[in-house]
Amino acid sequence: MRAALAIAAKDLRQRMRDRSAIVMAVIAPFALAAVFSVLMPSGGNEFTARYVIIDDDGGPIATAFIDGPMAALADPETGMAELVEVASEAEAREQVEAGELDAAVLIPEGFSDAVLAGGGAELTIVGNADATLGTEVARAVSTAFMDELASIRLSVAAVLHAEGGTPDPAHAAELAERAQLATAPLTLVGALADSRQLGATTFYAASMAIFFLFFTAQFGALSLLGERRGGTLPRLVAAPIAPWTIVAGKALGSFVLAAVSMAVLVVSSTLLLGASWGDPLAVAILVLGAVVAAMGLTALITTLSRTEEQAGAWNSIAAVTLAILGGAFFPLARGPEILQQVSLLTPHSWFLRGISDLGPAGTGIETVLPSIGALFAIGLVTGAVGLARAGRLAVAR
Amino acid sequence: MTMPGSGASQGATPVLECRDLRKSFGDRVAVDRVGFSIAAGETYGLLGPNGAGKTTCISMICGILARDGGTVTVAGAPVDVGTPAAKAAIGYVPQDLAIYPDLTARENLAFFARLYGLTGADARARITDVLEVVGLTDRAGDRTDQYSGGMKRRLNIAIGLLHRPQLLVLDEPTVGVDPQSRNAILESVEALGREGMAILYTTHYMEEAERLCHRVGIIDTGKIRAEGTRRELVALIGQRDKVKLSATGDLGAAAEALVREPGVADATANESGLELIVDDARGSLPRLLQTAADAGLAVTTVEVVEPDLESVFLHLTGRALRD
Repeated sequence: MRAALAIAAKDLRQRMRDRSAIVMAVIAPFALAAVFSVLMPSGGNEFTARYVIIDDDGGPIATAFIDGPMAALADPETGMAELVEVASEAEAREQVEAGELDAAVLIPEGFSDAVLAGGGAELTIVGNADATLGTEVARAVSTAFMDELASIRLSVAAVLHAEGGTPDPAHAAELAERAQLATAPLTLVGALADSRQLGATTFYAASMAIFFLFFTAQFGALSLLGERRGGTLPRLVAAPIAPWTIVAGKALGSFVLAAVSMAVLVVSSTLLLGASWGDPLAVAILVLGAVVAAMGLTALITTLSRTEEQAGAWNSIAAVTLAILGGAFFPLARGPEILQQVSLLTPHSWFLRGISDLGPAGTGIETVLPSIGALFAIGLVTGAVGLARAGRLAVAR
Repeated sequence: MTMPGSGASQGATPVLECRDLRKSFGDRVAVDRVGFSIAAGETYGLLGPNGAGKTTCISMICGILARDGGTVTVAGAPVDVGTPAAKAAIGYVPQDLAIYPDLTARENLAFFARLYGLTGADARARITDVLEVVGLTDRAGDRTDQYSGGMKRRLNIAIGLLHRPQLLVLDEPTVGVDPQSRNAILESVEALGREGMAILYTTHYMEEAERLCHRVGIIDTGKIRAEGTRRELVALIGQRDKVKLSATGDLGAAAEALVREPGVADATANESGLELIVDDARGSLPRLLQTAADAGLAVTTVEVVEPDLESVFLHLTGRALRD
């Protein structure tokens, strides 16, 4: 163990002398997180969309929609949306196009009648092309409401069919009211808002942290190839230490650098950028999971490579690809379903999901156990293969 | 040129004993049943051209490379890749520079000292000692990427000496260094041998082997072709020393007188003087010159030609050391 500590300390000393390591581990992710968070339209840590509702219907269903889920979005406690008023649909479209509004919800005349008559009814969402997140929220809320209406209609139809005879409109209305009361339409919208949407600063601090983590975590495995290229590996093997000690020392140095850089990013982005990471213990374990996953994957990739240069190139490609697939550069909710499924194979997705699940409300570690489990599983599986290959690298056959 | 005396190996318990070492890489046999031993205070040379199998032998002896067969014992303990404790008796100086360029000499030494279990005051004292031995005390605080090639080589050796090994293994330690640094390195190795360290020294420089080594193993294509002191090796191929005398006088009479001297195999007169074939030119030269003078010869120049290890290697393998 003393030898492993000596190797780790030596590696860390070398990395600290190489200033590019500090840039890669701390300065670059922090700077990019700061820049991206400033460039986000919402600017601050809270997401607030601006909507207008053009109600050409005025009927009970339209009113229920406006007073229900849309009002909930605009509730000061959630602060998800601001509802503004404009004179006409044309003006609404104009303001959306100009970027003054995120989206306009258009309720056409006859909407309520169509719903009550059991016919087809449509809501139109006009979204700003640059405010895809705001548009997506409006679309999700509207879809949830329409789905709820469909379930109410189905419930009423089922009861009337079971009772038999000619439907009494008053009785049908009573059934619809009861069915509506039995549902909880705002629960879905509330969940979306509270636990799945990070502020821009927190999102980019987390995404840049895990993106650059893959460059930091690879150094231990890379340095093993570097020792071989530099001729020092045979001398390490000739020393009176077990070969696994060399690999352990490399892994330890890599772990310390990666964990410290992540800790510095979490603290600095909180203090300087106002990021809101969530429960410290849960964040710490998520960070450890991310470090283990990054070390495992980069160790596997590195030990499959023949040279340091080749390993560096493959690791860079993997870091960028996994970051894209894992939603580190843009929220996955905007992507196709298949992408969201594929993202589950990436540590980035699980890390960001974990940070999102912690949310601003201060939820605890139990909420992020799936993310923690996935991160450690990815790290341990890939790391086991990587360590075995690294052990063979250390001893020539 | 003469080799050191061979007394160190006589009757002493070997520090290194390797037997029947074998190693193949695919179909290529790199080392084929190599065996030799080295006693305390003895310097043993593995002399052979590049690619002869010297480094592969050393890698197996130091437990860096897994062997296909054979045994290695250092200070009584078997050595293999998976026997860390036994490696503590070995000081390994690889052919390639095995130092960290972004660390200072002292930091390099401190790191390797920890790997060999040296800590605290003991480590500091040893670092000071080996820096003194290799003449790097004044530059100990400099990063080694600022060192000359010779200084790096000397630090490379210093690391191998840190833990006072019983066996020092030097793999071509003078490759690519300037003559001044080479001489300093050779002097250091000579001093270590005098202090009683067993030394395994590989080289393809014949003159280094002759200067440093009590015994030499001539290795080629993975096999030890011959082993012994220089004189034993030379005798093995039946070559003798040659003494060329430039002289005036009765060359024929002088030749007849000289050929009757003990140890003189032949004496031939030519246009400029005499050419003698003798067993031990250096030992018998004063007596031969006296005999020539007694025969009325006026000798103006003397040239002694001793068969060297290059000749032995050429004879054994059919090619030169530097081929």
